[in-house]
Amino acid sequence: MNAANAIAPRKAASSSEQVRLRRIQDFALTLVLVLLVVAGGVLRGERFLTYENLKATVTQASAVGILAIGMTFIIATGGIDLSVGSVLAFAAIAGGKLAGSGDLAFIGAALLAGTVAGAVNGIAVAYGKVVPFIVTLAMLTIARGTALWMSDKTPIPVGELETLRWFGAGQVLGVPVPAWTLLLVAAIGWVLLNQTRYGRYVVAIGSNREAARIGGVRVQRVLLGVYAMTGLCAGISATLLTGRLASASPIAGNFYELDAIAAVVIGGTSLAGGKATVVGTVLGVLTFAVIFNLLTLLDMRIEIQQIVKGIIIFAAVLVQRKGA
Amino acid sequence: MLAHRRILLTAFASFAIMGCDKAPAKGSPQGERVAATAASATNGANAATEEKGAPGKPVKVAFSAPGADHGWLAAIVKNAREEAKRLGDVTLEVSEGATDPASQASQIDALVAGKPDVLVVLPTDGQALTPAAQAAMRARIPVVAVDRELSSPSAYRTWIGGDNYGIGFSAGNYIAEQLDCKGNVVEIQGIAGISVTELRTKGFNEAIKRCNNGIQVVARQAANFLPDKGLEVMEAILQAQKKIDAVYTHDDDMAMGVVAAIQNAKRDKEMFVTGAGGSKRAMDLVKNGGLYRATFLYNPSMAASAIRLARLIGQGKGLRDLTEPEVPSRIQVPATAVTKENVNSFLSFGYE
Repeated sequence: MNAANAIAPRKAASSSEQVRLRRIQDFALTLVLVLLVVAGGVLRGERFLTYENLKATVTQASAVGILAIGMTFIIATGGIDLSVGSVLAFAAIAGGKLAGSGDLAFIGAALLAGTVAGAVNGIAVAYGKVVPFIVTLAMLTIARGTALWMSDKTPIPVGELETLRWFGAGQVLGVPVPAWTLLLVAAIGWVLLNQTRYGRYVVAIGSNREAARIGGVRVQRVLLGVYAMTGLCAGISATLLTGRLASASPIAGNFYELDAIAAVVIGGTSLAGGKATVVGTVLGVLTFAVIFNLLTLLDMRIEIQQIVKGIIIFAAVLVQRKGA
Repeated sequence: MLAHRRILLTAFASFAIMGCDKAPAKGSPQGERVAATAASATNGANAATEEKGAPGKPVKVAFSAPGADHGWLAAIVKNAREEAKRLGDVTLEVSEGATDPASQASQIDALVAGKPDVLVVLPTDGQALTPAAQAAMRARIPVVAVDRELSSPSAYRTWIGGDNYGIGFSAGNYIAEQLDCKGNVVEIQGIAGISVTELRTKGFNEAIKRCNNGIQVVARQAANFLPDKGLEVMEAILQAQKKIDAVYTHDDDMAMGVVAAIQNAKRDKEMFVTGAGGSKRAMDLVKNGGLYRATFLYNPSMAASAIRLARLIGQGKGLRDLTEPEVPSRIQVPATAVTKENVNSFLSFGYE
């Protein structure tokens, strides 16, 4: 109660301005997406503008997308998580180790391993008071090292686990399961961020941690929750990716953290904290997925893809600055 | 075109050592005996005792390898360790974990300071590590280079490696033959911009030239040797291409992602996939038949061979079936096609 009161004035002063800003950002990104789709339609319409291709694109966006939704919360608190890609691999291998005991054992182990790794990040950040960049950088190497060590550097085949395969490659009502999962995680993220007190606390911590603390927000607990949740997201992504790949790979998720951060930032969440949008993040992830899909359809080489991706990040961020 | 084949001698020599590698039972002195017999051809004095399985002069070998984060590199280190254990007269010190040429150079300096009899190096970058290897050679420690080449002959005593051009060339020939020189092929490369990738692509292009454009490479994308990247890239290519007859991939591990993408899209009847390396899993798939039709050897057993070569060099011996009293300076392992027909003779040789 106290907390809500303390934060209320600040929120009231800036809320209309913030809403306007966010609209500009979402608009800019939607514009980029529309331009990409038009370009794709003109250049390679017969293959690009099909339902099959749309499904493939969203499926591809799912693993990074789910990571990015967790990342949105962390960045909203003014933190960062460099470890999500490695935690994904760690979770996949933790699950893979139990793959012999069935689908549920895999999924349970992957989700638990991800959450535990995230919680360790959270404890170090919240209670150890270490800078998130350093904590999660350490976790990046620890989680990757553990994944390689546990797997003896070899992928673990999980093709026989039918439920797991279904999570990665199945469909419900003609929509791929990873797309449903992304949608579900995004919806939960949106409700949590925009409709609950917890979401307000997250943003409050990012805009002014001391004020939030004085206002009665249990800053440490909220932070721990945010990192653990992102770890859980990595576990979900690991489940989807392993199902899709039919094997748990210790080298999976390489550089996913950078893709997730890029998607969050071009979506309009501020790296300085205090401002977050789940819808923007989803748009950001979709933008990258469409770029990748389109450039691969056009058989553009990887170096060109990298340049184009960088230019889009630049452009999107510059447009946002203007909007602000 | 034949330049990569080197001289007949080296191919011959590689068979001589590969032959020893294929079947040795773990812990049995058989491998030892074969290598000893190799020496006996030229080294009459030792031969009598060696044949009875008595160990030769003890050799201290140091091995500098890059940090293994990939199935093939992991198998390299594992094979070297196991081989040293098998050979009773070799003590092996392994330094792994270097991720860049600079850290590997200091690692090599540290190994050289320990005064091993022979230094085995798998360079992260052959150009950058040439000075470190030259320093070892100047300190009278012979260097056996594995896989990637050092850029000056003064930097190594012997090089043993696979045939990247040969992988592309063999794969191109195989695919051309399977498709009767007609069809759409997708190429999934390793890391863009490194010589391994360029050679594997070049060999492939030159092999399919004989089809006079009957075989079209309709998509060519890099997937960095990563299974999840292979999956993503192949998923997008499957959207782009209506009709694919074959997929040539540069690596068995990465190809597992490609296979998953094709199976997820239920197009596994339409095309087949080839790999490279010679992993156990790839060989199992080849044996079962279906989507995964062949793999081309670039086997990490070359690390085990390198340890054997180091031992022979340390003991001043030559190779069985060669008249030269010393180990050759270059040995290239052939990029043999492993298909359903011959997979049984290679199964035990596949790396995990």
